Amino acid sequence: MGFSRRVQDQCWVDEAAATVSRQVFVDDGVFQQEMDRIFFRTWGFLCHETEIENAGNFVIRRLGSAQVVVTRDDQGTVHAVLNSCRHRGAQICRSDSGNARHFVCPYHGWTYDRTGKLVTTTFDQHFPNGFKLSDLSLPKVPRLEHHKGLIFGCWDPDVASLADHLGEFAWYLDPFLARSPLGMEVLAPPHRWRTRCNWKVGALNFAGDSQHVLTTHAGPLTLDPVRAARAGFATAAENSFQVSTDQGHACTLTYLAPGLPAEAYQTHPPDLEPLYTGITPDQREMLKNLRVIVGTVFPNLSFIETQVGPSEKAIIMRQWSPISGTEMEVLSWVLAEREASPDYKKEVLRKGIHNFGAAGVFEQDDVELWASATAASNNPIALQYPYSFHTALPYLQKFEANGKWPGRVYRPADTEVAQFEFMRQWNRWMQAPA
Amino acid sequence: MTIQSSARPVDTLLYIELQRFLFREAKFLDRRDYQSWLALLTDDVTYRVRIRSFRDSGAAETDYAVVDDGPVELRKRVAQISNARLSRAENPPSLTRRLITNVEAFHQADEADILVESSLLAFRTRSGIPEGGFYIGKRHDVLRRTGDGFQLACRDVRLDQTVLLEGALSILL
Repeated sequence: MGFSRRVQDQCWVDEAAATVSRQVFVDDGVFQQEMDRIFFRTWGFLCHETEIENAGNFVIRRLGSAQVVVTRDDQGTVHAVLNSCRHRGAQICRSDSGNARHFVCPYHGWTYDRTGKLVTTTFDQHFPNGFKLSDLSLPKVPRLEHHKGLIFGCWDPDVASLADHLGEFAWYLDPFLARSPLGMEVLAPPHRWRTRCNWKVGALNFAGDSQHVLTTHAGPLTLDPVRAARAGFATAAENSFQVSTDQGHACTLTYLAPGLPAEAYQTHPPDLEPLYTGITPDQREMLKNLRVIVGTVFPNLSFIETQVGPSEKAIIMRQWSPISGTEMEVLSWVLAEREASPDYKKEVLRKGIHNFGAAGVFEQDDVELWASATAASNNPIALQYPYSFHTALPYLQKFEANGKWPGRVYRPADTEVAQFEFMRQWNRWMQAPA
Repeated sequence: MTIQSSARPVDTLLYIELQRFLFREAKFLDRRDYQSWLALLTDDVTYRVRIRSFRDSGAAETDYAVVDDGPVELRKRVAQISNARLSRAENPPSLTRRLITNVEAFHQADEADILVESSLLAFRTRSGIPEGGFYIGKRHDVLRRTGDGFQLACRDVRLDQTVLLEGALSILL
């Protein structure tokens, strides 16, 4: 009774007031409902194709709250199967990644092939006559689709296609996934770290929290004056904008303002830029003078492309993997064009992790504050006071649509409109009938 | 830098001198006396922290860097965490204690360099996480003789973790 009842009566996302209940950032009941209504119903990112390049390669990932093994078979087809033996449930694969011809359950020896098909148990002769062992194959992720090197899965067999899910947001995504003929490559296994905050905090931060940059990241911005100058100019630049689309995806593009030294406008490595033949002229224009793009593919895959060195541009991919109402595991990859030189890749990786890795000079300060907000919000008093997204309110209806850029385009880029749009779409998923 | 761990062990006197270096260096970090700490580094210092993966027994061990700093990046990292205005993670500062044990030291082909292996247990509590957490791993340090003492030329910390459990790493190991 009392406090907790009052919290339940609140609406989660108050569209008229532009506020969001703190409950959605701490509550395990909300978390369970997210699992049912979002993570088991829509597309989740599994891995990049270059993480499992060869036959037999596998990685372990989470899809919803279920652990899956993502494998490549001898024909090159990718499969994702539940990492739990059909016999008594043990994990059939206990390595984080590797190469395997078969997956042998360590408990009783049930053996599955690279597609998850049960090949033999150690006591086949005792099964009833005519029993088909293949009926006890590992449960497959029923839907698996690729988009420009990314592999997504969905537990709902009836889900609309991945192309439908990405919708017009793919236009913003593709120049960072497949602009050169060979596409992108993951440069190292993902960094993984646990943080005591809700997964949506990360998703929102990347959807468009322009307002935290100069405060939270005063350190790296002050210590790199060139970057600081660019960041300050860019926030004010009138050509910067935010985007949201109907599926809940959102991103923020900040552009270089006029008046900088000429070399500042060489935003992408000069020897790689001529290779960007995989994008349309409009997408090329989108990349021109782009200082940083940061975005979230609903629900929990984010990306950022930014300068990490004088001539290195890193693409970081993030997954905010939900563990509970108040905990997530972050996976973080660094990508570069496959055509880039080994030296370039090495420097992008080194500088990429210096800035955005598990010990990154940007990351450490974000994580600290996300955990602090979560701890401070998880009590009955705090829960009565929803989070403010008020700077979204004046801009929610003022979007450009059907113009040059897909989706709903909002200016300027330093309001909370992209974040609030993410929460509105989240709310729609959560209110949809079970 | 090529590291030869099977090379000739150092004698007892040198061993004690190297251990004293490690203890003093850990003290500077625990006290957050970064100016004294930076003075212990060579100009071309490299600092790496690696985390590991679980792999099948027999499969090649894999680890990968979560920090791979050269001198420029390391000094920027220190400038950030040592300045209350520039760090959120280290303001208020973490409370830390570094325990250094299992020290072994070996001469290298280059007479000036000594490889010092040690086990590290770093305990850290910070604002909001009063119960604290551990970073545990193996250090491979290269200490270089400079005049009357040593400087740290290379530190490679290999953590016995696959997932960092205490959020993003903001202290030096």
